Parts: sequence; C-alpha cells; structure tokens
Amino acid sequence: MSWIAIGALALIGVGIPIAMMVVSALLRPSVPEQGKSATYESGEIPTGTARSFKFNIQYYMVALLFVVFDIETVLVFPWAVIYNDAVSTVGLTRALGPMLLFIGILVIGLVWAWRNGAVEWIKSPRATRRKTQKQDA
Amino acid sequence: MSAVSIVNAAAAAPLQVVLPEWTAIAPVLILALTGLLLLTIDAIWPGRNGNTTFAFVSALGSLAALTVTVWYLVAGTGQVGGSITLFSEAIVVDGMALFFTAIFTSVAALVVVASHDYLAGHENAASYYSLLMFATLGMALMAVSNSLATVFVSLEMASLPSYALVGFLKKNRGSVESSLKYFLIGALSSAVFAFGISLVYAVTGSLLLSEVAAGFDDGVAGFAGVAGIGVLMIAGGFAYKTASVPFHFWAPEAYEGAPAPISAFLSSASKAAGFVVAFRVFSTSFMPLLDATPAIDWALAFAVLAVVTMVLGNFAAATQENVKRMLAYSSIGHAGYALIGLAALTAGGPHNGDVMGAAMAHLLIYGFMNTGAFLFIAMVEYWGVGRTFEDYAGLSTKAPFASLAMAVFMFSLAGLPVFGGFFSKYALFASAVSAGFWWLAAVGAITSALSLYYYSRVVKALWIEQPNGNLDAIDSKPTGLYAAVIFAAVATVLLLPGFPIALETAEAAASALFA
Repeated sequence: MSWIAIGALALIGVGIPIAMMVVSALLRPSVPEQGKSATYESGEIPTGTARSFKFNIQYYMVALLFVVFDIETVLVFPWAVIYNDAVSTVGLTRALGPMLLFIGILVIGLVWAWRNGAVEWIKSPRATRRKTQKQDA
Repeated sequence: MSAVSIVNAAAAAPLQVVLPEWTAIAPVLILALTGLLLLTIDAIWPGRNGNTTFAFVSALGSLAALTVTVWYLVAGTGQVGGSITLFSEAIVVDGMALFFTAIFTSVAALVVVASHDYLAGHENAASYYSLLMFATLGMALMAVSNSLATVFVSLEMASLPSYALVGFLKKNRGSVESSLKYFLIGALSSAVFAFGISLVYAVTGSLLLSEVAAGFDDGVAGFAGVAGIGVLMIAGGFAYKTASVPFHFWAPEAYEGAPAPISAFLSSASKAAGFVVAFRVFSTSFMPLLDATPAIDWALAFAVLAVVTMVLGNFAAATQENVKRMLAYSSIGHAGYALIGLAALTAGGPHNGDVMGAAMAHLLIYGFMNTGAFLFIAMVEYWGVGRTFEDYAGLSTKAPFASLAMAVFMFSLAGLPVFGGFFSKYALFASAVSAGFWWLAAVGAITSALSLYYYSRVVKALWIEQPNGNLDAIDSKPTGLYAAVIFAAVATVLLLPGFPIALETAEAAASALFA
C-alpha cells in the first residue's frame, strides 16, 4: 500500500510542473525578442566563453579549510552537549583526551597549511599595476 | 614446524599480558605519527627543501612499523589466544591484519627509499612523503577494520592520498589526467560500495562484521534480493580497489601517468589492501550466505571475475608496447590470481584456509617482485631513456645489476620455478585444485604460460638486443633507487627458501578466520 502512496506522490510531483508549463504555453502570447534569449535576461551581458573564465585557486583552498573545520564542528557539538555527563561517568581524561587529540591533529594540518601559504592571498600583478597607474595619473 | 608454534605460544602469552591491549595497533599509530611528524617538520621550516630529511623520517617510520608488525607476528599477538578487538569491535588485530600490514609497510619503505632520487629537485617533498605515509596508514587501517563503517572510512583514507599522489607531477599533463580518471572512477565505485553497505545494513541491522554474519546466519527471509544486490555492490567496491574486472580500467591509465614509485605503491600495496579487506569481509560476514542462502553464490561471482580478470589482464599485457602499461595490465592479471583466494571458497570447505592463505602468500611475494619491477621503471624514467620495449634495448650494458634484478622480477612474476613467484602460484593453484576448482587452476596456469611471453620480452630487450644509441643519457647513479631495486630482488630470491614459513603464517592466519 505504501508504494501506491509513493507512486502517487511521484506522479503529482512530476505532473504539476508539466501542467504549469503546458498551461502557460497555451495562454501566453509569443513575442520573440533578442534580449529574452540572452543567458541572463536583464542582467550582465556575458563576454567570452565559459572555458576561459578561471576561478582563483585560493577560493578552493579556503573552501577546503572551511570544510575541515565544518566537519570538526559536527563532531565537537554533540561531544560538548554530553560533556558534563561524560566526565562524571568516565572521568576527565577519557572525556577530554580524545577530543584534544582530534583537534590537535587538525591543528597540525592547519599550521602546516598556514605556514605553507594556503591562507595568504596572492596579489594579482595586473590589478596592482592598474592601481598604481591610476594613482600616478 | 610444531616446535616453532610451541615457541610462539610460549612467547606470545607474556606479550599480550605484558603490553596493554591498545598497543596491538601500534603499527597503525606509528604510521600516523610519522605522517604528522613530517607535516610538523615542514611547518617549522617551510620552504626549505628537506627531501632527504623527509625521506629519512618516512623510511624510519615505515621500518619501525614493519619491525613492530613482524615482532607481533612472531610473538603471536592476536593469533595465539584469539584475535584482539578494540573500540567496541570496530578494530581487530589478528594474524591476517599483521601479515598484510607487513606487506604495506615494506612496500612503503621501498617506495620511500626509491622516491628520494626520483624527487630530487622537486618542490613539495613534504606533501609527497606525508601523503604516502597517510595512504599507508589508511591501508594498515583497512587490514584491521572489523566493521563495515571502518572498512569504508579506511578505504577512503587510503584512496584520497592516492589520487593526489598520482597527480603529484602537477605540470605533467599525463599525470594530472590519470589522477582525474582515477578519482572519478574511485568516486563512482565508492558510491556503489557505500550503497552496498547500506543494503547489507538494511538486511542485517548491524555494521559489525561478526553481527552481519550472525544476521545472515538466520537466513535472509524475503530479503534475498536486497542482500544479494548489497553483496554484489560491495564486491564491486573491492574490485575497484584491487583493480579487477569490471572496475579495472583505471589501472593502466593511473599507473602509466603516475610517478613510477607511486605506480609501484598502488599496484602492490593498494591492491593488497583491497584484498585484505575483501578477504575479511567475505570470509567473516558473508560466509553464512553460501550455506544458508544458495541463491547468493558470491563465490561463483568471484570465480567468473577471477577467470575474466586473469584472461583480460594477461592478453591485454601481451599486446602492449609501453613497458609500464604492460606491467599495469600484468598487475590486473595478478589480481585475477589472488581472486582465486575468494573464488575457491565453499561453505564449510576443509580447504578454505589453504586457498586464502595461498592467495595471501602470493600477494606477499607479488608485493616485492612487482614493486621492484615498477621501481626499475622509475629508474629508467629517472634516466629519461624512454618507455617502450625498444628503448630498453641493451640497458644491461649500462646497468648490469639493475637489469639482473629486473630479470629476476620478470621471471618471478611469470612464475618460473627458480624464484619465489613460482611457489606462490603453485601453492595457489594446488589449493584451488584440492578445493575442487581445477578449472580455475587450469585458467591460471594457461594465462601464466602466456605471461612468460611478454615478461621475457623485457628480459630479451635488456640483455640480448643491442643498444640503439639512446643510452648515452645515462650519466648518473641514483643510489636510493638502486638500493630499493636490489633489495626487492634479494627479497624475491630469499622468499624462495623462505616461502614455507610465509605460507605457513598465511595459512594459519587465514584458517583462524574460518575457525
């Protein structure tokens, strides 16, 4: 029986958007215009190809470091919630020690990344040049 | 032999009493500390090119882990008096775990020593060695994992550093491309593997291998389909890690593009890591299925995979012109031989321990001979001689000892009766025959005969053909690479008289799983 309900949900979930598109296609007048076919209607006009656009690698570095500490929070948070109970059951060392070890390992990784320049924002030589030219003028 | 085991028993009892139980995973901890130490050293003195320091620390760390592992193996830790389980049974230390940890750490030590020359003048040596140590750590954890959750996490721990290591030559397009291919196929098969675990969990209600076995013991009433698909998907995850059909096609790409020491590491240690975890999961958890649910005959599935893998790997290797690619396909073929260790299992079969033990012993010898062969390729890459069989012509005039070692590796891989590779194949095929799977042994023997053709092509190029003028580039002697190649050759030769001991240890470890 439950499969019938799931099937019905899927049917309606697919049906509603299709129905909306069909109904609006029947009702709306068709006025083709160049501006409407642009990628971002009423926005920036795209220049160049998508392939030539490159993100600075440092966005990824920051994102990676963020993920590490995001995951850390996921583990630290439930640990902090039960911390008091845990200390009274298994003692301070067994409640605090493993978490300190875990954070310690992450800190070694962070310090390494930091010392090797993962969080230093590399300056774009072109941008610097343009800035100084503006000041000179 | 019984005298040896009595001595073991006498020595073992005190060791387990003397040391606290958590020290059983000391090899894993040593590898973790080594990796962290490398990062700490590099954080204190960043920018200083400490290739030698890092190589020294990593070699020391892997050798220390190897020493402790061999000590535990000899002293009987986790073997005499049952296996040691830690962390609510998520971790188990037994003979098989220690046996495979010994393979991983010795391969890692060889690769580290060889990498020192290969990385000379390279930036980021610290990240290379620490990734290598973390990958080895992941493999050692795979060997001791006793729950599907630890299996998955440790498999990822071993895989993620491997992707980065394959693409370590950032400015080399081949290296980056092969890394991306390896990563994409790895991500796909990880997803398949995780899905399989979730299906098995759905049927049995537990992730611990022993409880999964208990769940399957009661029969899978009404859930045979779910359980069967789950087991099949888990087998697919292992096929990826061991580079077996149908998830083998990343291997030639990744091995060819990767720095050659990393190819050596992946094709020996990473493959063995896939097998240890497959052996443990299938022999511990899924064994009751063969008995209670004949519909889920995974041994038959492995038999088919083994035959296809042996045939495909060896035939594809025979058509290659590039030596590194030939070795990559031959390593797929060897995965097929080791798969016999799973394919020839039967419910309550008296030969189960023998078959799996023989496969383990084959992986040990394969670890040395295949690592050595890839390190020889690394040496040739270091000299910049070329990649095809023709480029290897006459190398023996310039590097006689290394060429001799390469000849040893090739004949041992082919299974000629003078080197360790013969006995391991012989034990494997003989145990398959006694388990009633003569046709698996027959396919193995035929493909081995074929493999002699392409292995001897390398030896012919090295020793018989005349140099064609491209060897003048050889002007340096990479000491570390030489030492690693020679050591691997010595180990391959020494495993000829030492094979009975290796086989006995492996069979005892495997039999303990079926007890």
